[in-house]
Amino acid sequence: MAAMTAPENTPVWVNTARCKACDICVDACPAGVLSMQQEPTSTLGAMISVIAPDSCIGCNECELTCPDFAIYVAEKKEFKFAKLTDSSKARQEAIVKNGYRLPEDYKEAN
Amino acid sequence: MAFNYDNYLRVNKMPTLWCWGCGDGVILKAFIRAVDKLGWKKDDVCVVSGIGCSGRFSSYVDFNTVHTTHGRTVAFATGVKLANPDKHVICVAGDGDGLAIGGNHTIHGCRRNIDITLILINNFIYGLTNSQTSPTTPQGMWTVSQKAGNIDPTFDACELAIASGASFVARETVNSPKKLEKVLLQAMEHKGFSFVDVLSNCHINLGRKNKMQSAMANLDWIDSITVSKKKYDKMSPEEQKNLFPTGVLKHDTEAREYCEMYEEIKKVQQGERKPLTQDDFDKKI
Repeated sequence: MAAMTAPENTPVWVNTARCKACDICVDACPAGVLSMQQEPTSTLGAMISVIAPDSCIGCNECELTCPDFAIYVAEKKEFKFAKLTDSSKARQEAIVKNGYRLPEDYKEAN
Repeated sequence: MAFNYDNYLRVNKMPTLWCWGCGDGVILKAFIRAVDKLGWKKDDVCVVSGIGCSGRFSSYVDFNTVHTTHGRTVAFATGVKLANPDKHVICVAGDGDGLAIGGNHTIHGCRRNIDITLILINNFIYGLTNSQTSPTTPQGMWTVSQKAGNIDPTFDACELAIASGASFVARETVNSPKKLEKVLLQAMEHKGFSFVDVLSNCHINLGRKNKMQSAMANLDWIDSITVSKKKYDKMSPEEQKNLFPTGVLKHDTEAREYCEMYEEIKKVQQGERKPLTQDDFDKKI
């Protein structure tokens, strides 16, 4: 099987040369790990960033739904993934409501 | 140990030319994972694609590939398969490519039941040429060629394939990449013509004028028009009216495969047996 090793202590990483900022992975993430950020040099003026790697639950949804081979998730044995919490769900909701970007004045729920 | 798609890609052609959020990429990934699971060698696979956004499919994969003329994917693939019966031939066509200009080839490929897998990427529009009505565009939608609303009735691609005689027919959407991978794997394993209708999104050319501006809105719409075959079978005809069933719709392992029958023709030509008669076939008419 074709496999690639995850960088150390990284649950999810992005190949920014391939990302087209379509928002699909941000929409798919249940735990508010991903968010779009302003990036003037990108075609759509945005670029994906991993804002809360510690909340990643390793569900692989972002990797499966990414159409551009740009995002990768580590395997369970490579990284100790978190459980889905209420605060990460709340963050995800806030990100989606704010056009797939983390609100600037966002405060964690707990 | 994330899955490394680069082993199967022509990396120098990345990033893809498809629009942001295009479902074609999700299908390509599912296809690569399925090939990897089957353990096929890269040299044993041939991907044939036609014209359209789906035509780019063959440019990105590092297998034997043919990028053919519009709609002639199944015709070319039939030739490739007959010349190399031990290789795996996969066709990729769009809804315009496979059902409009190549509709003829698609139904005759299904009829012959030749061992080809046809992945029909159905995005309900002619995407590459900017939103003309395709054979699957839903009625009432805005297209460039029918600005007052599309009045053409649509094809149900799977019904067409079943009626034409394909021995494996399935439908899946880009919303569920895991299921899509499984269905593609089943289709490629199947001996005989496998037809997989994959509902995909085109938020740029279908969605923009039809209230689905983002990829997510278009994917939600696809979700709203599909239901699993199990649930679909339990519904009343009234409820079934505006829904597509997903999953494996037909799986016939009994039907005879074309290449096997063609071997007999070869034997006749080499003088190893008498010409075929009607007695050699179960189905007489």
